[in-house]
Amino acid sequence: MNEDLEFIGKPFPKIDARMRVTGTAVYGNDIILPNMLYGAILRTAYPSALIESIDISAASKFPGVVSVITADDVDVNNISYKRDHPILKKGEVNCIRDEIAAVAAESIEIARHALTLIKVRYKVRQGIYDPYEALKDNAPLINKYAENKYNNKNLAEVFHYEHGDLTAQKNISKVIISRRFNLPRVTHTCLGTSNITAHFNKTDKKLLLYSSTQVPFLYQRDIAHALKMNPSDIRIIQPVIGGGFGSKLDMYPFEPICALLSIKTGRPVQILYSREEEFIASPTRQPMIIDITTGADKSGNFTFREINIMKDNGAYTSWGATTPFVMMQAFSSLYKVGACSFDSKAVYTNNVFAGSFRGYGNPQATFALERMIDLMADKLGIDKADIRVKNANQKGEITGQGLHYDTCGHRECLETVISKSEYKKIQSLNKKGRYRHGIGFASMLHVGGGAKIYRSDGCGTTIKIDPYGFCIIITGSSEIGQGSETVLAMIAAEELGIELSRIKVINSDTDVKPWDVGVHASRTSFVAGNSLLGAIAILKEKLNKKAAFILNTDFSDLQYKKGKINSIKEGKSIDLDKVVREMHFSPPGELAIASYFYEPDSHFQDKEFKGNVSGSYAFAAQAIKVEVDTYTGNIKVIDVYVAQDVGKVLNPLLLAGQIEGGILQGVGYAISEELLFEKGRLLNPDFHNYKILTASDIPDIHFFPVETNDKRGPYGAKGVGEAPLIPTAAAIANAVCDALNLEFVELPLTPERVMIALRENISI
Amino acid sequence: MTDFEIISPATIKELFIVIKKCGKDNFRFGAGYTDLLNELRKKTEPELKIINLAQVKDSQFTGIKTGIRGLWIGAMTTIQQLVSNQIINREFPVLHQSASSLASTQVRNVATIGGNICTASPSGDVSCALVSLNASCEILRVDGRTRMISIQDFFLGPRKTLLNRDEVLYRIFIPQNKPTSVSVHSGFIKVGTRQSMECSVVSLAFHIQSDKKSKIIKAGLAIGAASPTIRFTESACNFLIDKTLKNISESIKDEFAENVVVYASPISDLRASAWYRKEVLYNISKSVLEVNPS
Repeated sequence: MNEDLEFIGKPFPKIDARMRVTGTAVYGNDIILPNMLYGAILRTAYPSALIESIDISAASKFPGVVSVITADDVDVNNISYKRDHPILKKGEVNCIRDEIAAVAAESIEIARHALTLIKVRYKVRQGIYDPYEALKDNAPLINKYAENKYNNKNLAEVFHYEHGDLTAQKNISKVIISRRFNLPRVTHTCLGTSNITAHFNKTDKKLLLYSSTQVPFLYQRDIAHALKMNPSDIRIIQPVIGGGFGSKLDMYPFEPICALLSIKTGRPVQILYSREEEFIASPTRQPMIIDITTGADKSGNFTFREINIMKDNGAYTSWGATTPFVMMQAFSSLYKVGACSFDSKAVYTNNVFAGSFRGYGNPQATFALERMIDLMADKLGIDKADIRVKNANQKGEITGQGLHYDTCGHRECLETVISKSEYKKIQSLNKKGRYRHGIGFASMLHVGGGAKIYRSDGCGTTIKIDPYGFCIIITGSSEIGQGSETVLAMIAAEELGIELSRIKVINSDTDVKPWDVGVHASRTSFVAGNSLLGAIAILKEKLNKKAAFILNTDFSDLQYKKGKINSIKEGKSIDLDKVVREMHFSPPGELAIASYFYEPDSHFQDKEFKGNVSGSYAFAAQAIKVEVDTYTGNIKVIDVYVAQDVGKVLNPLLLAGQIEGGILQGVGYAISEELLFEKGRLLNPDFHNYKILTASDIPDIHFFPVETNDKRGPYGAKGVGEAPLIPTAAAIANAVCDALNLEFVELPLTPERVMIALRENISI
Repeated sequence: MTDFEIISPATIKELFIVIKKCGKDNFRFGAGYTDLLNELRKKTEPELKIINLAQVKDSQFTGIKTGIRGLWIGAMTTIQQLVSNQIINREFPVLHQSASSLASTQVRNVATIGGNICTASPSGDVSCALVSLNASCEILRVDGRTRMISIQDFFLGPRKTLLNRDEVLYRIFIPQNKPTSVSVHSGFIKVGTRQSMECSVVSLAFHIQSDKKSKIIKAGLAIGAASPTIRFTESACNFLIDKTLKNISESIKDEFAENVVVYASPISDLRASAWYRKEVLYNISKSVLEVNPS
């Protein structure tokens, strides 16, 4: 199947690159509709308070203000998957993001000024900002909509998983180590801030939303539920999206609020976040405290893992509360391990709520897991590279959780980074003096063929060829910058012999495109790619019939190349567009169009969270070299060696982009990024003090794709999007611990944390 | 965001007229706007006028000139002009390095040396280098009078300078290296989390001149982000006189670092604790004397 590929595996630039770099791409922030109003949201002044009164009279009277709404003015349902989140807050507020009122006005300046005219009287409460405090009996109830099914009023979500005989595995362990790790709250920092434009048409009662959502069909249903509307009366158009990384998986209050303002006024309304608002009111990665105990026998075989996780859920529940789905995969199935017991709690507090973020809990889990491996190796006197290779996952393995590794490049990934980093040769790293050098390893496992967590993990495609030989792919999947449009166009180019410039991808309108569950779980190339291949197969059957008739040959003889269909045997060819016209214009008349829906043959997990949840699994390993300045505590990440089982490289250029971008997000998570809160308030809502890394900080990234050719993936490919971020922080922490011969249990490894550890010569 | 009216004089003469006309009105000077716009975005000032210095045509005000006793740098000279100036690169590496480490290429292309000084931030990189170089500020008054002030005296506190309302910073003067100086050990150490777009958590500027016998004949050291203003560490400078850079013992390095750190009275803020700032200042002070660091 893979021989003589003309497009697949070649470094084509993104087909939308020119639009993006020249500024002609239309982002949500660029949209201007006739007669449009500007919306702004009044958020609470206190993270926890009772609202005694809201006076909107002055704001309503201000010239240019068209509508002011509060909870009293709307008839809506709560949002979030637990329906525990009121869109506009009434009676009380529980986190600093809380929306109290919203204004629609003739200009953004008027809207923002009107917010200052709204008078709110609060009765301030202490609030609870520590999840352990929130679990105490005397703690007040934080979310009154919580289900209270876990015997504690402030418990939002609980997960338990286990496999194997924990006691027996403990008994055969030579080494057993326990640690508590503390992982910070970080955020996505999408270049495009959150935005929405809503247009409710009073005549036909239909709502049009220009939204940056990553999951348009789930979003359509969620908006409908929130607004008590029929989903089919809501049309979602996704403009060019300025970054997702998981942040646009949930629907947030500002979105139905914008729709409500449009419904009230009958005019289009737009809400754009400022950067400060983006920091305060858009989602974060789940902060966690991970208690973990792990063991290994005398030969270094991993025996068991016992994990207990405390997640600060914030005031409301988002998809982020379900990150244990992914975390338990890493704990149960990354490296072979005889027994695993996993528990996690998500606890309501008056902090901001987290959301989903590239990796979905996996960077946290992998950090804990890979730190423990180094500690066990040290104690057993086994080399840190050897112990990983020894325990690596294998092809054909069915893990304790029931994941089927039909292909598995784990061992090859590890061996590649061990050899490329020349680890075995560099035992004499500088461990004295001002600058100290270290190397650290980490692996990762992530779904690579979608994840069946919703009732369907599928994607629909319609493909057509017009009478001029141009191909139009109408796909359910969404482009959020990752390059899915380009990969889909390349697949069509490969299969149909049509050049890329003659292929269009339509993917932004729920009224047009077929259903898809959304961009998440590194699934788009795999699921949308397979869906497209299915549609192409049907289309080709139709084209083949006509072409074989014209060329007087049989189907198997036909070859699609450079806009022509060739008969190898007959030595004849016909233009593809001519075949399409012949189909259309000669009786009985047929269009060159086909549709297909692909559903991965993965399974729902059972009540014990066991089952083969993905169509394929991706593996990766990273070896990272660092230099630590013991005078300042600065960590310089020098080299990142990354080997990733991608199944098959579809486009090396786009793949490198995912790898490099992911690693940089991982480096930031490791050494510089942290949202700092004090009693529920964000102290650093800006790029000045929230430190994402810059071009000057980029390490040398040495990437080695590992191709395992998974027969389920398009051309053998697996998902790649989240993987590069997942092991990075773990590998960096291992490298820093190696350089300094100290232990760290907390991220990020800021210069000050490093200096404290050096000074105290203790773990922090 | 503060709304403002902008006035753009084209000559120094017009500038004086504009300042006089503004009288007691609420006005601010705008140069590169890299700090000012961020500041105005965060607050609301009533009836603000911005006197835009960017359109003033005056070669002394906007360029670098070599004088008999030293270098004259116009206040409107951009940071990028400092970076690419060969004389600065050769004679005053501390200034070159501080300018190169400021923010990012985009910011350096518009930010000015005068803006960096007049913002009077304790963490101003270029200002810190200028203090180590014993630079002076030439100040113009609207009546045409000028005065020269040592840059150390120019800073009164965070965001406070001794400029009066009817004055503008016109030029900065950097005295030449000593005639007997044959080698210069000069550099800028900036401590922060990232390589670009960083505001110094602590910084150290040093400019040490030695004679042909390798004896230190003049030393200038300044510390940034470690006290309410950038400080010239005079006793540490004096401590170095007559010493030879290449053979300085560990105990002398420690003594020198202690001499620097006495000038530090740092605060704890989001970016670092006072403890960290002092600890690191001590370490980087020592590193100045580690000519061949391990």
